Amino acid sequence: MDNVRARNESAWLLPNDGSRTNHRLRRDMRRFADSDEIDLVIVGCGAGGSVLLQRLARAGWRVAALDAGPFWDPDTDWVSDEAGSHQLYWTDPRVIAGSDPVPMGSNNSGRGVGGSMVHYAGYTPRFHPSDFVTYTADGVGADWPLSYLELRPYYEQLEQELPVAGERWPWGDPHRYPYRPHPVGGNGEIFLRGADKLGITAKVGPVAIANGRFGNRPHCIYRGFCLQGCKVNAKASPLITHVPDALARGAEVRADAMVTKIAVDERTGRATGVHYVTDGVERFQRARMVAVAGYSIETPRLLLNSASRRFPDGLANDFDQVGRYLMVQGAPQTAGRFDAEVRMYKAPPPEVSSEAFYETDPAKDYKRGFSIQTVSPLPITWAEHVAAQGHWGSALREYMSDYVHWSCLGALCEFLAQPDNRVTLADEKDSYGLPVARFSYSQCDNDRALARAAQSVMEDLLRAAGADEVITIQRYAHLVGGARMAADQEHGVVDRYGRSFAVPNLYITDGSVLPTQGSANPALTIMAVAARAAHHLAAGDS
Amino acid sequence: MSGGPDRFPGFDALSQVRHWDPVTADAVLARVAPPAAVKFFTDSQEACARALLNLLTGQEDGDLAVPVLEMVDARLAAGETDGWRYADMPEDGQAWRDTLAHLDADAYTRGGTPFADAARADQQAMVQAVQDLKSREWHGLPAGHVWSLWTRYACTAMYAHPAAWAEIGFAGPAYPRGYKNIGVGKLEPFEVPDARPSGDPVRDG
Repeated sequence: MDNVRARNESAWLLPNDGSRTNHRLRRDMRRFADSDEIDLVIVGCGAGGSVLLQRLARAGWRVAALDAGPFWDPDTDWVSDEAGSHQLYWTDPRVIAGSDPVPMGSNNSGRGVGGSMVHYAGYTPRFHPSDFVTYTADGVGADWPLSYLELRPYYEQLEQELPVAGERWPWGDPHRYPYRPHPVGGNGEIFLRGADKLGITAKVGPVAIANGRFGNRPHCIYRGFCLQGCKVNAKASPLITHVPDALARGAEVRADAMVTKIAVDERTGRATGVHYVTDGVERFQRARMVAVAGYSIETPRLLLNSASRRFPDGLANDFDQVGRYLMVQGAPQTAGRFDAEVRMYKAPPPEVSSEAFYETDPAKDYKRGFSIQTVSPLPITWAEHVAAQGHWGSALREYMSDYVHWSCLGALCEFLAQPDNRVTLADEKDSYGLPVARFSYSQCDNDRALARAAQSVMEDLLRAAGADEVITIQRYAHLVGGARMAADQEHGVVDRYGRSFAVPNLYITDGSVLPTQGSANPALTIMAVAARAAHHLAAGDS
Repeated sequence: MSGGPDRFPGFDALSQVRHWDPVTADAVLARVAPPAAVKFFTDSQEACARALLNLLTGQEDGDLAVPVLEMVDARLAAGETDGWRYADMPEDGQAWRDTLAHLDADAYTRGGTPFADAARADQQAMVQAVQDLKSREWHGLPAGHVWSLWTRYACTAMYAHPAAWAEIGFAGPAYPRGYKNIGVGKLEPFEVPDARPSGDPVRDG
């Protein structure tokens, strides 16, 4: 691991005294003036923004990342409690529409430094090589303007930096993980038992949770509150995996700074900086280059809200591509009931996964596939699962009293990218007076077939493990797309390095650039795409 | 009722409060303190909402006394939404006010009283009728989205409360202690096994 510390010292910059935040590093952080023309201003300090920040700070760039939310301190800001974690989510108003509207907030939207990875489960699988060529191979989705092999070195780097624990991975491009798999709790045990009975390969991992100490980050304590922000510092998020090293190398993180508009010089056609609001005051940060990393809803919204005379329909939107091809994974969640006590809330929700159904099966009447993972809902989310069966009142209470007996699996189905699944601006305004995002989403036949198939496999797994009853709730998980990369400006917003086709010094380095989503949780791929863009920028290829 | 309360005799998540970190303990203990005065709902809305929320959480007989009405009111007063609304629904606060007025209107039509004063069986029938409409309209709103609003707020309040955790055997916060005995059938010393492990409400139903 020595080489990891040499290129990213974050885990060694955290305190080792039982507290979780290096306050001195934050207090002594470099602070740029608005009037400084810094090399790069980044909008959003999550998976994409933080990696870009850290890499370019290391390359000697004068770089700052602005985030709309707070600079979290896990000791004082986070709680080991479901309802008390509400502030971790992006809860500014958004409107959802379409025939299959997608709920936002806790399910897929983060706020503050670290982004959604503060409250993601912690699964960090790679995409499969096939994800980059779905159009050529299957006539669905899109081909990426880059290949899996071009992304692989960044996957490998980041798996060391997070770091990732798991068994040897047999799917996609087979690979190993730097840390051994974690022991599993009741839910993982049930999944492995069912898979073994059915002859389905399932593996422990891959999770970005330290197994053993990593730098000054302690071992996981298996408390099960991964989705509420890891107070332990065991689960990786950019707040602890990339921001500390970035600060130590002279980067600035400006929290509580909501970017409202990207400025573009009408004469040169180049971005000149960003307008932002902090403490109720409107300010402007000058920069030689702008990178947007606000994720799949806020990134398109910011571009659309940055319309100007040159870009009347929204920045970089000459070809009506901004906001389109937004994807969510179908995530049916199936639970099984056992007389034994599973107590799935003990141990991290991410434990065991299977990618045995990830690829297109020529014998099926649908394209692409799904993965299956343990999910271990806490009481409030479990109540949603139970209420979805139609129960309320005393019946709901009775079902809920059975909580310790249930095991719960979730699928991630590769729902296909479609042009009309998109973000536009609503008439409604937020507290900054800006139009809020309207996200319209509708499924296609292939999507529905995948969700049915995934549900049926999960039911089989749970029954094989001994469940006497199974119940399912239809859900969505994750967001990607909305400003996708493509070979040319008529099919996407940015090129293979994340540079916008319309404005040469405007980059997008977050999940919104992904042209397909596979059946993998997107965090690692978002980080890898940002690391690749950073490498390209640092090398001066632009 | 084969399941229900008392499946975990003597179990109380709050008995472990000394093992919780102080920030979490403060957040949870605030929920068992006397609830704050109602701020968001008007008097008539409050009466209607209290009856509705107690029905939805099975507390119409007052057996558990989780202050669901006050918890929902506090959220709405603070504008603490889930971060989205359906395009065919008003924003959450207005949607609550509108749907409570519609419930009262239904109750007047049915029995000439506000919803809160209707007989229990009538209240249940009116609530069930909204659920049964599914994607059809109820007073011009998609009933399924109304149902989603009501149950989301009700369940989030109910299962944030230690009294509800005790009823389901959930020990609540787990930092900094964590768990040592993970796996099927494994308990921590402070956990209590289910007294009726085969009381599966699904199977019995």
